[in-house]
Amino acid sequence: MNATLAAVLAVLGLTLVKATPLIYAALGGVLSERSGVVNIGLEGILIAGAFTSVAVSGATGNPILGALAGVVAGALVAAILAFVATRLGVDQIVAGTGLNIAALAAAAFGLVLIYHQPGASHEVPAFGKGGEATLIVLAFVMTAALQFVLARTPWGLRVRACGEDPGAAESAGIDALATRFWAVVAGGAIAALGGVYLSLAELDLYSDGMTAGRGFIALAAVIFGRWTPLGATGAALFFGFFAALQYTLQRAGVPSELMQALPYLAALVALAGLAGRVRAPAADGVPFLRS
Amino acid sequence: MSAVLRTRTARDLIVVIVVVFGVGSIAMLLAHVSPLIGFGALFDGAFGTKSEVAETLVQATNLLFPALGIAVAFRAGLFNIGAEGQLLLGGFAAGWVGAQFPLPGYLAIPMVLTAGTLAGGAWGAIPGFLRARFGANEVIATLMLNVVAMLLATFLVTGPLQQGGGGASETATLPKAAQLPDLIADSRLTWAFIIALVLAFVLRWVLQRTVFGYELRAAGDAPLAAKRAGIDLGRTAFVAMALSGAIAGLGGATLVSGVLHRFNIGLSPGYGFIAIAVALVGNLDPLWIIVASIAFGMLQSGGIAMQAEAGVPREVVSLVTGLVIIALAGRRVMASRRTT
Repeated sequence: MNATLAAVLAVLGLTLVKATPLIYAALGGVLSERSGVVNIGLEGILIAGAFTSVAVSGATGNPILGALAGVVAGALVAAILAFVATRLGVDQIVAGTGLNIAALAAAAFGLVLIYHQPGASHEVPAFGKGGEATLIVLAFVMTAALQFVLARTPWGLRVRACGEDPGAAESAGIDALATRFWAVVAGGAIAALGGVYLSLAELDLYSDGMTAGRGFIALAAVIFGRWTPLGATGAALFFGFFAALQYTLQRAGVPSELMQALPYLAALVALAGLAGRVRAPAADGVPFLRS
Repeated sequence: MSAVLRTRTARDLIVVIVVVFGVGSIAMLLAHVSPLIGFGALFDGAFGTKSEVAETLVQATNLLFPALGIAVAFRAGLFNIGAEGQLLLGGFAAGWVGAQFPLPGYLAIPMVLTAGTLAGGAWGAIPGFLRARFGANEVIATLMLNVVAMLLATFLVTGPLQQGGGGASETATLPKAAQLPDLIADSRLTWAFIIALVLAFVLRWVLQRTVFGYELRAAGDAPLAAKRAGIDLGRTAFVAMALSGAIAGLGGATLVSGVLHRFNIGLSPGYGFIAIAVALVGNLDPLWIIVASIAFGMLQSGGIAMQAEAGVPREVVSLVTGLVIIALAGRRVMASRRTT
């Protein structure tokens, strides 16, 4: 194998590593937003998944139990957002922002309680290479599955109906509030896998700030991917590719900050409709209250 | 609908108190500290001595600017989540200009504050423009621009605009002439506090008593009616976002000129986000926001003492702040998305 090929393979491998947590988070975001709930709290859900999986893996010695706990934690955090968004008709954005702040603080607090040290946990039993590969493959399986569920199943149709026009959906006999609630919770469970990947597959511990804004990049991937699972995963791979190239390009003199800003700038361009027409679900972010 | 959003004040206050003391107590018990001792240390650390009161007011000032900016945008029906980035770039512009151009005192301070205001205003104007021109969702835009602001400031301060070299992520120290004078000797409390108070009263007057303020509130309360009445919603959105960013940027400038005397990339521990809680607790009313900023300033300054004296991790303060935001968002049905 010659050196160029090896370098290309290394970048592609790193692309998958960088993209996988983004894919999970973005898929969670897509499911939530297609039901009509903007999930600004993806970052908080990643944190919940990453922290809880480490805490439980450390306590039980079993990373699989840890991963399951992480998924449950992500679903629970999402359930808070889902509850206030569907039952109280609140502003989802303000609530999501609060969720991110609270999740980051709760994890930092948890570190002190459990490990009696700020900053980072101890090392815990983790997945290793085999588990990491499984989680990477699962991200693509999940993409295809969610694409199918949204496009082809009755539940997917109901979710989309609630995202476009919850009033009309209710007239057709769909419980829009329940549909939105469960879509957000399921989205939280999926997104939490991204956090599990970060703490138990890529590493074997939780440290403060380890999610490093990936929830926001995922939000950008949702928009850049035009609110479809395939599109969001494509966007996540695109962003992951540039993250993987960052070190190479930095050596070539491209400022690393520019590379890091790329996902956000891409999302802004997409938002402004400069990269072709982008349309969010019509009722995305609009609270629905039965009159 | 900021009209709807601004009702139920008494109930909100009860919710806030329950969240702060309820969740705070549970967290303290988890850390094996009696809530009485924990909250005691917090209040004592915030108000115990003259210098502690001063530090509480410093924190209140740092929160008051971005909270006022956020309130202006929210009242216009625009969710500016980007105060953190606007404050950061305002701080950078102030620090860089102040250290770069040594001027006499009566010029240096206005120049530094103006630089921060303009930079923050420009950063706020971007999502305002995207909103007005392309109908781009300002929430996502401001959220993205927060991160871009951090990256841009890092790039500038360590790259083309670095001062003193060494690649440190901070500017050179401001000359004495560019530093806001102290209000209380031997404290970090400066005239920035007075500027913030005056600004709050001015904003209250602008919002309640001027045509501009009326248009801004009308655009937030009833966008369709405002549009029919001939109010240019796009222009209002642009101006409101630019003004909102300018106020946050001014806050960053006072933080640099008054407290730190140089720009540092880590100058804000999330003031722009905590300020969302401050603005909501203050009911988006500039005068109540003053009160709310002192309450949250107390949590910020007392939190350090709570950790040192009572052994309660100060993350409890952030946890409570985040939950207050969720709780108050939970009490309000916000405006249906504006149509520009």
